[in-house]
Amino acid sequence: MHDEMPGFFPGRPGGEHDEPLLDMILERRPIPPGASPEFHGLARMLAAVAGPAEPGDLAGQDAAQAAFARLASRPGTSHAALRSARRSLSERPARGRLPLAAALAVAAAGLGSTAAAFVGVLPSPIQHFAHDTIGAPPPPHGVSARPLTVASSPMPRHPRPSDTGSRRPAVSPDPVSDKTHRGPLSVHGRKAHGAVPGHASCIPALGQDDGGAAGDAQNSVWPSPAPNQVKPGATQSPTPSGPSQNRASAESLPWPLPSAMKGCPAGTTPYQETHASGR
Amino acid sequence: MQPALLRYLRVITAEPEDVAGETWIQVVTGLRRFRGGEQDFRAWLFAIARNRAADAGRSRHRRPVVPLDMTEAAQHPTTADAADQALEAVSTQAAMELIKSLPREQAEIIMLRVVAGLDAGDVAKIVGKTPGAVRVAAHRGLRRLAGQVAQAGVTL
Repeated sequence: MHDEMPGFFPGRPGGEHDEPLLDMILERRPIPPGASPEFHGLARMLAAVAGPAEPGDLAGQDAAQAAFARLASRPGTSHAALRSARRSLSERPARGRLPLAAALAVAAAGLGSTAAAFVGVLPSPIQHFAHDTIGAPPPPHGVSARPLTVASSPMPRHPRPSDTGSRRPAVSPDPVSDKTHRGPLSVHGRKAHGAVPGHASCIPALGQDDGGAAGDAQNSVWPSPAPNQVKPGATQSPTPSGPSQNRASAESLPWPLPSAMKGCPAGTTPYQETHASGR
Repeated sequence: MQPALLRYLRVITAEPEDVAGETWIQVVTGLRRFRGGEQDFRAWLFAIARNRAADAGRSRHRRPVVPLDMTEAAQHPTTADAADQALEAVSTQAAMELIKSLPREQAEIIMLRVVAGLDAGDVAKIVGKTPGAVRVAAHRGLRRLAGQVAQAGVTL
């Protein structure tokens, strides 16, 4: 095609053969020394145009920078910052929101435990702790710390031997087995400690716990059994505060007692009540 | 980039400083939406500048943007004074005057390629042409400039 064009003068401007050379000039690459002087002059001219700034090119730069700094420091720009922060928060991956969910769960658990502490239906060790820390009512006198066997919140705090001060170890003294506790409705050692088969929501009444000494004091956490459910060997609470307190606790609950309270066999009591009060 | 922007605007508009200021304001306000690297920012900046220059031209009705084809451009030869002045001083201002003597489209494309440092694809997007048309226009403008250099009889 190029060879067929008449008037073709290699190395002179105007021919299509100079396209690679013109591309080199456009891209500001050094052109071959053998190129036409016009191309050399053109390359130098364009290099001057694309060269560094002259004094007149940056006139007013200081004033512009100062104006930009004032604009950026205006309080009105906080809206944009807020929008940006909001967007970045919403675009944060799920793992970034995990601490928030954990905090909400802990707060909910703490709220439920606090309510239970003021109602006075927590196990003695925890009631002691609540009494010392948040000013909840103290546990009844003469009531020893019954081992904690029912989880009252999604994130229960299991008593340690040092916390309970109990004369006997907890039902689940093995810390390893404590770690296996999960979920708000799990009962430590339910099967091993007399959970009623077929009545998963019923737990042994006072004095029915295996190994539980008859003289082991009643804990206000356990709902008082009906009079006909109290075995002769079982010891009533030395103070009437136990049953009455439990009734008051149940009456003061802002939610109805679960229907599972009914129908438990003799010698057992629905653990849902205890759980509900700790909710 | 301000010097390059200002030189480009001096070729395509009569109010380069005002248009440059408006361009930077729009850059600041739209910077959060920008995504890309340095080359993309260059293309974005000069596209804004071109649009602002067009707005300024329409609003003032002074220099309507009328693209000239090669035939029309050939009817308006560059004055010898402009070529001589540019080649004698080899200064930026003189070279700018020489480029401004080109048809507007060619001058703009050469400025975008050489001064702004954009490739043919980016320039094509800015001026609304194909890369091939941009390349042809740039070559024609450079040949015209080279012809002016040869006409002036300057050898470097």
